[in-house]
Amino acid sequence: MRPFVYLRPTSVAEALQAVAGHDGGSFLAGGSNLVDLMKYGVESPSQLVDVTRLPLASIEPRPDGGLRIGALVRNSDLAADSRIARDYPVLAEALLSGASPQLRNMATTGGNLLQRTRCYYFYDTAFPCNKRQPNSGCPAIAGQNRIHAILGQSDACIAVHPSDMAVALAALDAVVRIEGRDGPRSIPVTDFYRLPGKTPQIETQLAAGELITAVDLPASGPARRSHYLKVRDRAQYAFALSSAAVVLETSGGHISAARIALGGVAHKPWRAFEAERLLVGRAPDSASFEAAADSALQGARGFAHNGFKVELTRRTLVRAFQELPAL
Amino acid sequence: MPPAESAGQFLAAGTRLADFTWVDESGLNRCLSDFRGGPLLLALDDAVWDPARAEDLAQFEHLLQRSGLRGALAAGAAPLEKPEWLGRLGLREARAMVLIDERGVVLWSHRGPSGSPQALLGLETALHACADRTGVTRRGFLITTLALGVLGSLPLAARAQAAAPANQPRLPDASGGLILNVNGQDYPVGSDPRTTVLDALRERIGLTGTKKGCDHGQCGACTVMLNDRTVNSCLTLAAQAVGERITTIEGLANGVDLHPVQAAFIRHDGFQCGYCTPGQILSAVACIRDGHAHDRDEIRVWMSGNLCRCGAYNGICEAVEEARDHMAEARA
Repeated sequence: MRPFVYLRPTSVAEALQAVAGHDGGSFLAGGSNLVDLMKYGVESPSQLVDVTRLPLASIEPRPDGGLRIGALVRNSDLAADSRIARDYPVLAEALLSGASPQLRNMATTGGNLLQRTRCYYFYDTAFPCNKRQPNSGCPAIAGQNRIHAILGQSDACIAVHPSDMAVALAALDAVVRIEGRDGPRSIPVTDFYRLPGKTPQIETQLAAGELITAVDLPASGPARRSHYLKVRDRAQYAFALSSAAVVLETSGGHISAARIALGGVAHKPWRAFEAERLLVGRAPDSASFEAAADSALQGARGFAHNGFKVELTRRTLVRAFQELPAL
Repeated sequence: MPPAESAGQFLAAGTRLADFTWVDESGLNRCLSDFRGGPLLLALDDAVWDPARAEDLAQFEHLLQRSGLRGALAAGAAPLEKPEWLGRLGLREARAMVLIDERGVVLWSHRGPSGSPQALLGLETALHACADRTGVTRRGFLITTLALGVLGSLPLAARAQAAAPANQPRLPDASGGLILNVNGQDYPVGSDPRTTVLDALRERIGLTGTKKGCDHGQCGACTVMLNDRTVNSCLTLAAQAVGERITTIEGLANGVDLHPVQAAFIRHDGFQCGYCTPGQILSAVACIRDGHAHDRDEIRVWMSGNLCRCGAYNGICEAVEEARDHMAEARA
């Protein structure tokens, strides 16, 4: 691990000040991903600003009936919050499907959003990787790519985003709140992440020195009928090969609104907007869900080892809808 | 020079080491004869930095201080610029360690990757050979083999010659170093911010119950409680845990009375090799306390952050169930 200066500010202003104008500055929260990346030499910040003492660890009601989740709320606390479990089941389920109890005790809301891909080649500094070292190449495309993307890939990168939580947040139309030297701003989770394109090293809209302070959830009404289904190589403690977060509203026996986000399949939580539109007005039955899944996977393409993910994801999405609790 | 006895042993025991000189990290000329007169552990290394090895180095230093055994460091011998004396020692690699007695006669030597079974076995044997004279513990020597990679930044030889009394109290570090509160007691753990809680516990404090498995948050062997919540200590920087309460496996029992979960693991054979057990037990304590142990399926889910390569999962689940009932009765 490369040497670094460790700082532990107690206010957002101090934290922003600490990384401002510092090229190698990085915020540290739970450390469950960043410390690991530092051990592998993938990340080597020269200044580590520990933000865990900032006052951002509460979940507060918002005037519009939604909730504001502080960036430092631990994944385990968020999953256990009775308001989340009752009003946003898709989020609680996604959180509890991620990592292990001890890692969820460490991981924070903000940090979870910013975790890096688990692509083998990204993690192994002996290999080239366009994400780690721009323009060095992508060995995954012709190499081992069983866990890689089937949607939205580019010639530069076929890595997937590893977060379960972010997939649920995308389906909930959650909004990321950011604080920077120029003041606060907000970005919907759906727009927060970027596809790899030619610059896979740039993963989010977050600018240098900006800090995630909270995630806002809209009022819960429709989100109450939601579900997260994750498929992986073992029953617990593994990243998603494929996952689906679904939110469904019905009225008079027909679907009035639907939201679909897929995980483990793309460089970002993958919203299937076209499939969502297709569901509106139809009966909430298997035929409709199958049609939506076909639409969501249109254009999906696999590589040597991950072709199975296309059908797997189609079925994951259908089953996620089928497992929704009846109203 | 007699032939080496094994691949790791590059200087046969009984060889008298010819005097040689090197430049230490402070730029001072050192010669082996400077250190004659007592047993000496000589470490040779390149200058690659590794956090775990740096912690080993600190232990190496403590060991030398406790035992009165002296150590000398010849570091900074980067593989590409091998000093002439390395060649004279018959040493191709830069990483090696030699234990010599007061006359400069080799008791033990090792080169190549540290911590290999041969290295451990060899040093143990050498330890027995001079145990009376040094009073060094087996544990101390195991740590020392891992300290093969000794670094250039510390004037180790100079410091090691000032032997400190045994059982020196561990007072908070006056030099501004990190202090961790473990099982209700404060311990200084040095000041390198790269130190993880795991390495601080094992290599600085000497609480080796917490195990290093994967060192990457994938196995759970390093699980400890941070303010009563389980965390992977391998991914928690010691600097982040300053001012918090850490509980390790050593802090669970009440004197000689085992914690109910510990007792249940023994009754139900919740292990074979035992390496994952401390982490399993910490997770089990949290699992029961947090109400996630209602049935076998729930236990399996909430214990899933702790892998057991021996596959003792049935015994582990049985132990958790029994401890759950036992603890509920105790509360009633």
